Amino acid sequence: MRVIVIRFLKNRISRGANPSQSLALGSLEFELMEILWSRGESSVRDVVGQLSRPLAYTTVMTTLDRLFKKGLLDRHKSDRAFVYSPLFSRQEWERRRAGNLVAGFLSGPHPSRELLLSCLLEAVGEHDTTLLDDLEKKIRSRRKGILRQGQP
Amino acid sequence: MILPYTLRLLCLCFASFFVLNFAACLLIRIASKSALRFAESTAASTAARFLIALRMLPFALATLGVLGLCVPSYFWLEPAATSERVGIVCVVLALLGAATWSVSIMRTAPSLFASMRHNRLCRLSGQESYLPGEPSPVVLVETEAPLLAMSGLFRPRLVISRGVLRALSFEELHAALRHEHAHRTSRDNAKRLLLLLAPDIFPFVRPLGALERTWSKFAEWAADDQAASGDSSRAVSLAAALVHVARMGAAPRLPYLFTSLLARDRDLSARVDRLLQPAPILPAPTDLARKPQAQFRIAAFLFAACLAAILLTPSTLSAVHKVLELLLH
Repeated sequence: MRVIVIRFLKNRISRGANPSQSLALGSLEFELMEILWSRGESSVRDVVGQLSRPLAYTTVMTTLDRLFKKGLLDRHKSDRAFVYSPLFSRQEWERRRAGNLVAGFLSGPHPSRELLLSCLLEAVGEHDTTLLDDLEKKIRSRRKGILRQGQP
Repeated sequence: MILPYTLRLLCLCFASFFVLNFAACLLIRIASKSALRFAESTAASTAARFLIALRMLPFALATLGVLGLCVPSYFWLEPAATSERVGIVCVVLALLGAATWSVSIMRTAPSLFASMRHNRLCRLSGQESYLPGEPSPVVLVETEAPLLAMSGLFRPRLVISRGVLRALSFEELHAALRHEHAHRTSRDNAKRLLLLLAPDIFPFVRPLGALERTWSKFAEWAADDQAASGDSSRAVSLAAALVHVARMGAAPRLPYLFTSLLARDRDLSARVDRLLQPAPILPAPTDLARKPQAQFRIAAFLFAACLAAILLTPSTLSAVHKVLELLLH
């Protein structure tokens, strides 16, 4: 019983350790996540069967366990084997990753903030320079008119 | 379809909201050309107030009708704890009502979140500063983009870029800030939220879009008038500020719930021409002019209270209940 409690606490601690790091995935981790996103709940054997390249059962099992500890997967026991399911949809994972990226930018030095702002301030269209020249001429002539009249 | 007491009430609320909103939207759509002509003939601030009131009228009438008449009459006259058959017409109308509400909520929520996110990012990436002659702090953002906007719904804050600060002279900046403050005083960001929230006549059908676009134009013009306050040189400074900000390049794309000096401006030329016209621009209402407005509000409140007292009489509620029964079956 004590072993289970300790393992549970260890898992909890490792899940909450570093959220931005836990969302970053290696190539194999990403491949396994993609299988789970498309299939939903799967056992290790199911995932091995879906892989595009031959990989050892234990390698997949260890990677899935790591993903569970990162807080990306949920699991329960069924017939003495773990069945894994993703905790977030792919969209939600991407949204969280983007959020972490923005937070990283904002906590960074000044140039990275400027870079972020340049992304935020997406351009929507420029005004015609000839029109602006015409308007400026009108403004100059109106200013002269006001000065001549001595009007406030 | 047999529905229990509470579900029947929900069904009736959505159905009657849809019917009332539909009828009012249709009437306003028919009258919209005359309304727009009337708006063009009045002062910009009056036109803006008139158009937003007209746009919100179907929503307000339908909400009042449901909450003020349908719900009380249902609770008062409908026997509780009974299940009744509901007609297919009522179910269809209720579904349409629910769909129009869902569409307006789906339209509002992303805009609201985008605005809040942008607002937070501006505050995080910018810094609070005091500008000369400006009583409240502004959020100064270190970018060359032409950004001068009022952000936030209930406590709007001015967001300004370093580029705009550099490009404008003192008089131009003062006039531009007055323009943004006019938006804050008239709570234009909150009005934009109401426009998004007001349900359409049918899901995805916006028959009052022309009113909304014209309101947007008059809201800008009203803010220009308020900024100039009848002072020709201030009006010229505001016109110069508009042109200088437009010269700074592409305007940033801001969320719908931001009011910006220039972002959504398709009538820059018209605005500048208006500011440069020789006739003095109408001054902003003074404290003396506001007193009759306060009296009008009190009178309107008293009228609404009397109307509610008359409408909520047993005979009215019983007549409403009969109509609801007709709608239900």
